[in-house]
Amino acid sequence: MAPPEAPLLEVEDLCVSYATAAGVLRALHGVSFRLAPGEALGLAGESGSGKSTVALALLGLLGPEAALSARRLRFGGRDLLSLSPEEKRRLRGGGMAIVFQDPFTALNPSLPVGRQVAEPMVFHRGLAESEALAAAIGLLHQVGIPRPEVVARSYPHQLSGGMQQRALIATALAAEPELLILDEPTTALDVTIEAQILDLLESLRRMRRLSILFISHNLGVIHRLCDSVCILYAGEVCETGPTKTVFRDPAHPYTRGLLASLPRLAVGDRPRLSPIPGTLPDLLEPPPGCLFHPRCPYGEPRCRRASPLFSSPGPGRAVRCWRAEEIGGVSWEEAVGGARPLAAGGGPAEKAAPPLVVVRDLRKRYRLGGFWDALGWEKPAGRKLPRPSWAPRFLHALDGVSLAIAPGEVLGLVGESGCGKTTLGRTILRLIDPDDGAIAVDGREIARASEREIRPVRRLAQIVFQNPDSSLNPRKTVGEIIGRPLERFGLATGAQARRRVGELLEMVRLTPSYASRYPHQLSGGEKQRVGIARALATSPRFLVCDEAVSALDVSVQAAVLNLLEDLRRELGLAFLFITHDLSVVAHLAHRVLVMYRGGICEEGTIAQVLRPPFHPYTEALLSAVPRIDGGRSRIRLREEGPAAEFAGRGCRFQQRCPRILGEICRTVTPPPLEPAAGHRILCHHRLETLAAVPSPVDEAAPGAPS
Amino acid sequence: MPAGPLETGARRRLPGNLVAGAAVVLAIALAALVGPWVAPFPYDEFHIRDRLQAPNALYWFGTDEYGRDVFSRVLVGSRLSLLLGVAATAVSLVGGVALGLAAGFFRGRIDEWLMRLMDLLMSFPPVILGLLILAVTPPSLWKTVLAVGIVYIPAIVRVTRSVTLELAQEEFILAARARGESAGYILFREILPNAWPPIIVEASLRVTFAILLGAALSFLGMGAQPPSSDWGLMISEARSYLDQAWWMAVFPGLVMCLTVVGINLLGDGLREWLDPRLRHGGA
Repeated sequence: MAPPEAPLLEVEDLCVSYATAAGVLRALHGVSFRLAPGEALGLAGESGSGKSTVALALLGLLGPEAALSARRLRFGGRDLLSLSPEEKRRLRGGGMAIVFQDPFTALNPSLPVGRQVAEPMVFHRGLAESEALAAAIGLLHQVGIPRPEVVARSYPHQLSGGMQQRALIATALAAEPELLILDEPTTALDVTIEAQILDLLESLRRMRRLSILFISHNLGVIHRLCDSVCILYAGEVCETGPTKTVFRDPAHPYTRGLLASLPRLAVGDRPRLSPIPGTLPDLLEPPPGCLFHPRCPYGEPRCRRASPLFSSPGPGRAVRCWRAEEIGGVSWEEAVGGARPLAAGGGPAEKAAPPLVVVRDLRKRYRLGGFWDALGWEKPAGRKLPRPSWAPRFLHALDGVSLAIAPGEVLGLVGESGCGKTTLGRTILRLIDPDDGAIAVDGREIARASEREIRPVRRLAQIVFQNPDSSLNPRKTVGEIIGRPLERFGLATGAQARRRVGELLEMVRLTPSYASRYPHQLSGGEKQRVGIARALATSPRFLVCDEAVSALDVSVQAAVLNLLEDLRRELGLAFLFITHDLSVVAHLAHRVLVMYRGGICEEGTIAQVLRPPFHPYTEALLSAVPRIDGGRSRIRLREEGPAAEFAGRGCRFQQRCPRILGEICRTVTPPPLEPAAGHRILCHHRLETLAAVPSPVDEAAPGAPS
Repeated sequence: MPAGPLETGARRRLPGNLVAGAAVVLAIALAALVGPWVAPFPYDEFHIRDRLQAPNALYWFGTDEYGRDVFSRVLVGSRLSLLLGVAATAVSLVGGVALGLAAGFFRGRIDEWLMRLMDLLMSFPPVILGLLILAVTPPSLWKTVLAVGIVYIPAIVRVTRSVTLELAQEEFILAARARGESAGYILFREILPNAWPPIIVEASLRVTFAILLGAALSFLGMGAQPPSSDWGLMISEARSYLDQAWWMAVFPGLVMCLTVVGINLLGDGLREWLDPRLRHGGA
């Protein structure tokens, strides 16, 4: 599939290396790709694969310690390698523009948004300030920002995350670039917002014939937006080709491994994930031969000796593997040792067993702003002068939440950021004191108990955190970290404790030798395992996992998910699994709670929640998930302002509901509908209406791994 | 992050500034320790015929208005100055770290009260506050130490509080609370080891400030009393002879500078050396 016209961007044999104290670090090696006008190319890979380095190299933003070389690096017919620094500066923002990952730090907090969008127009297009500001307002309108005149005068903190990302895209478009480079632009956003940003990018690309280089670790997002994809591994391209074909029929073992590691959003049989063993090679001393061979289940002696050349398994495709053609018929799962189905013995304990954790009508509110913010004037009727009043506003993080978890059960808790799911998890463990409600763990009431009374429960109920970098004390060795709970609860001392630490490390599939290491010597996945081992040290029966796999790369995430599932089965653990990722919940959980603004809007078993009837919010969430298998019609939710509040009357979802009925939704609290035992939906719609919705979720064919 | 080779067994290399700083500080500490015995003359011996001599083979740093040997006085004076700097900083550290940890960890009302109290302390110029503490009673060394220590408590409190605020948000603190650890354990075993680096740097800076403030107080007559030899006091006495005998002020001043630089180097070096992340040199 030769491009019909001259490519806009040509990269051939791009190499970047850094001279470090420990030697030369090969960040990129022989990276080649081309991008036609109006094309969208996805650059995929795990952290450390060199995705962002490609973007920085193109923009000429690499630091002085980086050495760059390329056989060809051309943009719009100009040789990027021979540009002077001043020409490069003109090109950045002018010819090509970049949008970075985090909208919360990429905008200058002390300048109005309009000024920031206008600035590149003054610099690159020579417009006068006032013209540029007018053009900026037009541009803000184009990127789908309502009331752009108002937003142009606002400061970044007054906008929600999605709006900030839109404003950032407007800034990048201001100088009318031909190429837009996006570095993980939606990673920090909720799925519903992510779906809207992807829509926007798609329409911009059509309208402006914009070329897009889209960098992401999220294969679903790339599948949704990009025509072609380029998979990077350890600084090398291992496979390129049209997105649809590559994802349907991956040729390179690494691509296959990535796809096999992805939990799928599907109902029915849940095959065990097949993660990629091992870790990224040391780029200071890359292994000889194929970079992937140390982790490749298809490897043969030849792979160790010589670096493979590209071959083409189909039109427009290229793959860097000696055995690409021979291994076609052998799936990744077979190659790594067969996929075991999850179903056998998987369910929670017998119905007769009393629930381990019971939460009733839990409430927690936070005062918004400080003491002085609540101060105001009120003018009572019949009085001439207003008088001061103190009326604080509250954020209801938990607004009457009830739940029960049986021994050995995984309860998934999903919802967007700010819905109160983390508060719920922490309140159940009494890391946060509730305002009202009851919490019982193993029959012990702890909602109002003193720390001394809670102590036996602390042994039974533990927590695993999201951020592996923050969850381990950097000053303590792994042995001290895991050993402390043993000491604290008097479970083991001395040699016995050391032996137990070794056992715990083996339980999370690490070797006992890790006990002497410090956290910074571990990879992200290893740190997360240590965090799990620490939580398991007291032999708990209940674990709260707060986004425990969200910060991990897919292949590592798959391994940790498998580990959690194994532990659940071996130890009969119950989980409250908090996540924003519906695919992970679909993979792991038995039952699901869908949370919105401090309240639960739908609950049921995983099969009930993923099949109609849906709560309108669940439906919107499900249809927003970007996936690598098929795409369905999507529901778009309106975005809410950053400080939108629930007035306390009617349905909590009223402001964003695409299926709103009218007045009744605004004034009357919706009744619980019970389509089946254990399945509850809080909505004013009739069950039949909700049941008639087409499902955005696939039914997994039994036995088929993908 | 690419998994680098693990350097668990690697030999700890001392940072250069730590070595240099430690050398200077050790030299001065040694001088303070053995000063009275190695000094060429007793520090308070008058040589009336040799008044205001420029530096020469006999009097290396010259002599003062009573003919006392400046070199001997500087050597002996290191004892007082160093003692004052270190002891006063110890006072600030003990008070400041405890208050800072409490303010940063418990937040709310405790934080508010403590920090306003610190603002109050800081609103006085250091010398005035020192004078205020000393003026009510007859001067003595331990009172100077206490006064200088109290003056620099707010600086330590602020540094400690800001690191504590940050660290208290970390998930490993939540993990400790999920085990039901006591506030004391969390503050001193989980937070403090991570808070040390900025506190140590701040404290090393404070040692030098304390020496200077102690000197200033001596200069104003509220610290060390004549005839004892203290660098600040020496400079104070040299003031009236600056035009005839520069050496009387310059040598104590130089040694003070050297001490300050040495202690700062030592503080920086310690920070690098104590941090396990820097110690094992990740790429």
